Amino acid sequence: MEPKAIFDLLVEHLGEGSAEFREHDIEPWACVSAARIADAGTFLRDDPRLEFNQLMCLSGIDWDGLDENGKGKSTAILGYTGDGVPEDSDRIAEGDFGVAYHLYSHTQRHKFTLRVRVKRDVAAVPTVSGVWSTASWHEREAWDLVGIRFADHPDLRRMLLSEDWEGHPLRKDYRMPDQWSGVPLKGQPYSENPFTPDAPAADAPAGDDTPAEG
Amino acid sequence: MEAMYAFFMDTAGMDEMAAHITVAVIMATIMFIVMALCAIIFTWMERKVAGFLQSRYGPMRTGRWHGWAQAVADMLKILGKEDIIPAEADKPYFIFAPLLVLLGSLLAWAAIPWAPGFVAADLDLGLFYIFAVTSLVVLGILMAGWASNNKWALYGAARGAAQMVSYEIPLLLATIPVVLYTGSLNTQDIVIAQQGGVLNWFVFRDPFLFIAFWMYFIASIAETNRGPFDMPETESELVAGYHTEYTGMRFAFFFLAEYANLFLVSMIAVMVFLGGWWSPIPGLDFAPAACFVVKGVLMVFLNMWVRWTLPRVRVDQLMHLCWKVMIPVTLVCVVGAGIWMMASGAVG
Amino acid sequence: MTDDVKITNRGWESQDHASEMKSELLELNMGPQHPATHGVLRLLLQTDGEIVYKVTPVVGYLHRCTEKIAEGVDYKQWIVYTDRFDYLAPVTNNHAYVTAVEKLADLAVPERAEHLRIVTAELSRIASHLIALATFGLDMGAWTPLLYCFREREEILNLLERIAGGRMLYNYMVPGGVRYDVPKDNWVADVLEFVTMLENKKLPDYNTLLTYNKIFIERTSDVGIISKETAFDYGCTGPVLRGSGVKFDCRRDDPYSLYDRFDFEIPVGMGEMGTVGDCWDRYIVRVREIEQSCRIIRQALETLPEGPYGTLELKKPVKVPAGAAYSRTEAAKGEMGHYIIADGGAKPFRNKVRSCSFCNLQVVEKVGVGLMVSDLVALVGSLDIVLGEIDR
Repeated sequence: MEPKAIFDLLVEHLGEGSAEFREHDIEPWACVSAARIADAGTFLRDDPRLEFNQLMCLSGIDWDGLDENGKGKSTAILGYTGDGVPEDSDRIAEGDFGVAYHLYSHTQRHKFTLRVRVKRDVAAVPTVSGVWSTASWHEREAWDLVGIRFADHPDLRRMLLSEDWEGHPLRKDYRMPDQWSGVPLKGQPYSENPFTPDAPAADAPAGDDTPAEG
Repeated sequence: MEAMYAFFMDTAGMDEMAAHITVAVIMATIMFIVMALCAIIFTWMERKVAGFLQSRYGPMRTGRWHGWAQAVADMLKILGKEDIIPAEADKPYFIFAPLLVLLGSLLAWAAIPWAPGFVAADLDLGLFYIFAVTSLVVLGILMAGWASNNKWALYGAARGAAQMVSYEIPLLLATIPVVLYTGSLNTQDIVIAQQGGVLNWFVFRDPFLFIAFWMYFIASIAETNRGPFDMPETESELVAGYHTEYTGMRFAFFFLAEYANLFLVSMIAVMVFLGGWWSPIPGLDFAPAACFVVKGVLMVFLNMWVRWTLPRVRVDQLMHLCWKVMIPVTLVCVVGAGIWMMASGAVG
Repeated sequence: MTDDVKITNRGWESQDHASEMKSELLELNMGPQHPATHGVLRLLLQTDGEIVYKVTPVVGYLHRCTEKIAEGVDYKQWIVYTDRFDYLAPVTNNHAYVTAVEKLADLAVPERAEHLRIVTAELSRIASHLIALATFGLDMGAWTPLLYCFREREEILNLLERIAGGRMLYNYMVPGGVRYDVPKDNWVADVLEFVTMLENKKLPDYNTLLTYNKIFIERTSDVGIISKETAFDYGCTGPVLRGSGVKFDCRRDDPYSLYDRFDFEIPVGMGEMGTVGDCWDRYIVRVREIEQSCRIIRQALETLPEGPYGTLELKKPVKVPAGAAYSRTEAAKGEMGHYIIADGGAKPFRNKVRSCSFCNLQVVEKVGVGLMVSDLVALVGSLDIVLGEIDR
C-alpha cells in the first residue's frame, strides 16, 4: 500500500488534526502528535489492512536548527580542541526533539514512517514498547543518547552508557567530558577532510562524474 | 616384587616389617614419578592429538622436535605463578581440595598390575579398592567448588558431584561380568585369566562383555570429567567450573589429577577387558609392562579422539544417559554374562 | 547497575516441578568476561539451580558513540567506522552505509562496482557465518569445527586482502563505487575455486562433524524456540527471523544493489529436528545461506561486466542534498539499517544505525526465561551476536 493511502487510514482512526502527511521524494512520513503515538502504533499494528508487525527502527533526534521539514542550518556540534580539552560554548540548543518510527509489515510488505516532535522543555514521548517489544531497547537508547523521556516505559535505564554518565551525547549542545569518574579524558578534534585540505568540505563541488578507469 | 623383598630381607638383612615399609616407599615414589611423567607426556600428547584432529600442528617450537618440551615448560611456568587464594574463600578446604583430588587418583595406582608380580599393593580386593579410592576425587571437586566461594565454581562442583557419583554405578557394574568370570577381585588374577591371545581377552569373550566394555569406556569418560561429559568444567558455560579460582601450583594439581585419572581409567580398561600385560598374539610376551602401557596409551588416544570430536551433552541429558540407559544396560550385561557362562560351561 | 533488578518470579508457573522446590534465587553474573558471551556482553541471570528465571542483558561495554562521530566527520570519512560495527562481516556494513548515502544523494553506481560489492559482501557474509558456526559449535563444546571454520575463513580473508588491502577491516566501498578494482593476479578464478571447494568439500564436512551429530541435535533442537510472532515483535531479522520460518530477506524482498538479478533461494527453518524456530533451525539456516552466497558469488563473477568501478573521484566529498531516508540492507546478521538525516552540508545531521544484533539480542529477555543455563548459552550462541554492532 502506498504511504498516502496508509496515512488516510491512520487519520481516519486518529481523527483530523492529530496527524499530518509530509511529501518527500525518497521517504514521505506522517507527523503524529506525541500524545497519540501509542494509539497510532496499536492501530497500525492491528488493523488487518495494514498489519505493521515489525518496528524496523526507532530513532531519537535532536532537531536543533532544523525545522520540521528538515530545512534550516544546523550548528556545529562541540568537540575537542587541538589541545584535547572540550570545546565550550554558552549556546543552549533550542530545537525540538523528535522520534522517528520506521515500520514494516511482513504480511502486506509495505513500509511507513511516523515522526513525532516534542518541545525541548517537555522532552517526553509516550512509549510504544507495549506495541512492539523491540521498541523497549531503542527507547532506552534514545533516552540514553538523546535524552528523550519515554513515559510509561517499564524499565527506562541508560542503555549503552554507564548509569552515572552525565548528559546525553547526541544532543547538539552536549559538551564533551573532560573526566569521567575521576578518570581524565583527553579528546581529539574532529579531523577535517584530509583529501581537501584547502577547500572547506561543504563548498567543494559535487562529484562531476569522472569515472575511474576500471 | 618377590625379588625386592628377597633383596631387602636377605641381602640387606632387614626384618619383614622394615622390608615392607622400604618396598612401599620405593613403589610409592615410582608411582608418583610415573604419574607426574604421565601428566606431562599426556598434556603434550593431548595437544598433538588435538592438533592432528584439527588440521594444525600443535606445539612445535619448545625443545625443537615437535615441541616435546612444551609440557615441561608449561609445568615450570605454572610452578612460578603467583598462588592466589580469594579473600572470601574457605581457606583450609581451598588448600586441601587439590591434594584430595590428586590423592584419590594416586592411591588407586597402587593396585595396577604392570607386569606379572609387579604391583605396588597386591590386594585381594584390588578392583574394589581402586573404585573405592577413586571416589575420593568427587569429594575434592565438591570441596574445591564450595571453598572457592564463586558461583560458577559451585555450579561446576554440584554438577561434577552429581555426575561422578552417578557414573560410578555403571562403571562398577560394567566390570562385574569380568569378576564373575575370574571369580576374584585381585587385579593380577583378572589379568592372568586373560592369557592366550586376543580372543581370550574379556572384551571378546562374549557379546555381553563386549557391550560392557563400551559401557565402561563411556562411563570412564564421565568419571574423568572429559568431553563430551566435562560437566564440572564446561568452559563455555561455567567459565572453568570448579577450578575457576585456582592458580599456579594448586591448579597444576587438578591438571595432574585429570591426566593421572585419565591414564588410570584407561589402565583399568586394559587390565579388566583388554588382556592386561598379555600381547595380542600368544607367546610374544617379552615385555609385559611395555605391552600394558602401549595398550593404555591407545585407550588414552581413543579418549582424546572422542573429546576433540564430539560436542558436549547437557547436564540433564547426562543424567538421563546414566540412569535410564547405561545402568539398565550394564545390569543386563551382568545377568547376560552370567547366563552365557552357565550355557557355555565356563562356570566352575 | 545491579540494584534496580527486582526479583520477579516470572516463569515459575511454567515449571511444573518448581512450586514445591522453590528456593532462593541465585543472582549470577554471566559476563562481561565469560567465554560464551561472544565479547563483552553481560547477562544478569536469576537462577534456581540450573533453571534461569530472569535474564537481563547489560550492554554498552564497547560503546564508542559512533553516531556522534558521524555528526562530526563527512560522509566518506565515516565509512571506516562502519567496518567496526560487525567486525566479522565488515563489507556488508560498508554496503549498508553506502547504500543509504547513495539513496539520499541519488548516486548511480556502475555495474562492475555493484558486482564487486556483491561478491565481497557475500564473501564477508560467508566469513561471518563460518564464525557463527564455529562459535556456536564451541558453545556446544565442540572444539574441532571451530578450527575448521577458521581455516576456511582464513582463505576468505586472503581473498579479501588481495582485493581490498586489509584483512579484518576493509573500508572497501565508497558512495558511487568501490575503492579498488579486481587485482590482476587471477583473483576471479581463485574466488570461484574457493567457492566450489567450500560447497563441495567443506560444507559436507561440517555437516557430518557437527550439524547432524546426535549430541549436537539433542543440545539444540527444541531449545530456545523463537516463534514467528515473537520474532516480529522483537524486531528479529536475518537468520534469526528466517530460523523462525519467515521467508524474508532484504536482498530479495526489499532489493538493493543488483541482488534482484541473481538467482538464489532463501533458506528458512522448517523444524526438521524439532520445533520451528529452535536453535538448530537458526544454525541450519546459516549453513544453507553459505551455499546460497556461494551461488550468488558464482553468478556475480561469471557475469562480471567490464567498465569503471566507481563514479566519483576519491578526493571529492559526496554531495548529499537535504532530506532523510531510512535504508536497510541484509547484513550477515540481519537487517542493517541507516537512518540518515542530511541538512545539505558535508556532514550528516543525524545518523542512526539500526544494528541487527541489537534487536536480535533483545529477544533473550523473553525466550531465555525458563531455560537451563546450558540452553541459554545455546540460545545466545544461535543468535550470533557481535558486540561491536550492539554497542556501536
